[in-house]
Amino acid sequence: MLRFSEEVMLLLLNDSGGKFVDVPAPSLDCALAGAVLMDLAMENRIDTDPERLFVVDPAPLEDDLLDPTLKRIVDSAETHDTAHWIRDTTAHADEIHDRSLARLVERGILRREDDRFMWVFHTRRYPVIDNRTVREVKLRLMGVLFSDEIPDSRDILLISLSDVCGIFGSLLSTAELDSAAERIGQVRKLDLMGREVAKAVREIETSLAAAIAMPMH
Amino acid sequence: MDVTTERQEGVLTAQVGGRIDGSNVAQFEEAIRTAIDESDRAVLIDCENLGYISSAGLRAVLMTAKSLSSRNAKFALCSMSDPIREVFQISGFDKIVAIHPSKAEALASLGS
Repeated sequence: MLRFSEEVMLLLLNDSGGKFVDVPAPSLDCALAGAVLMDLAMENRIDTDPERLFVVDPAPLEDDLLDPTLKRIVDSAETHDTAHWIRDTTAHADEIHDRSLARLVERGILRREDDRFMWVFHTRRYPVIDNRTVREVKLRLMGVLFSDEIPDSRDILLISLSDVCGIFGSLLSTAELDSAAERIGQVRKLDLMGREVAKAVREIETSLAAAIAMPMH
Repeated sequence: MDVTTERQEGVLTAQVGGRIDGSNVAQFEEAIRTAIDESDRAVLIDCENLGYISSAGLRAVLMTAKSLSSRNAKFALCSMSDPIREVFQISGFDKIVAIHPSKAEALASLGS
């Protein structure tokens, strides 16, 4: 089974060309951090409530995407809330990003292509080899958005992550987005961790806006 | 966490006491799954003695509702304390699952 961070990277992939949709870096960092915490929750290593995130089972999963974050949480002398661990894990978002893509290549879903633009600038693309997996992830999301059924736990979390980094804007037409907006709002609330990831993104965006608005001396 | 069940006219009532979190959510799921009979037309979870529920517990409740919905059986929750009701409301469960103030009102709504 793919990890949430791998699914997020697949959803961000343009249908052609192996390039990724542009999303704000802080939002993507938070989404990848949230993805790791959500996988740890689904593996019953951690659990949350509105006030705190706590360890249920400290045993490593032998998974290099998840174990470094689990170890930091297990080794922490204090208990913190989910927002704290999202902020902490965003510091490792680049590693999660690169590891997720490397895994998708190892799984034979993507291919890595390095190139040079104008013989100088290094460019990298990830064309899709196994389009079925990419299509399945997208169909799962669409299935939840355009039905009234109670969604599966994993689908709830994936919708929260997709919403956090603005993936729906590239997956859906404006009319589809309008008709799905209420359902997205309903589904993303259904998991406390999904709500915390969204809250962390809003806080980071607010602090960035405040820093930009601050007068220079 | 403890679960005691009773059945009345095809409605299974599961009274859940204590805490539901990641440490015992598997036992909670197992207790509810094994208690539900194919002939049950509705399941009510009575939360009167539920003191705490975490994200993992909420997911288990939602998956129970999903499973019952897929076979057209009704599902409801009742008798929550204010802090527990607040957690369910924050998560928007009240928009998806029927939550009743008392067991009597829940059973009446489920047609028992």
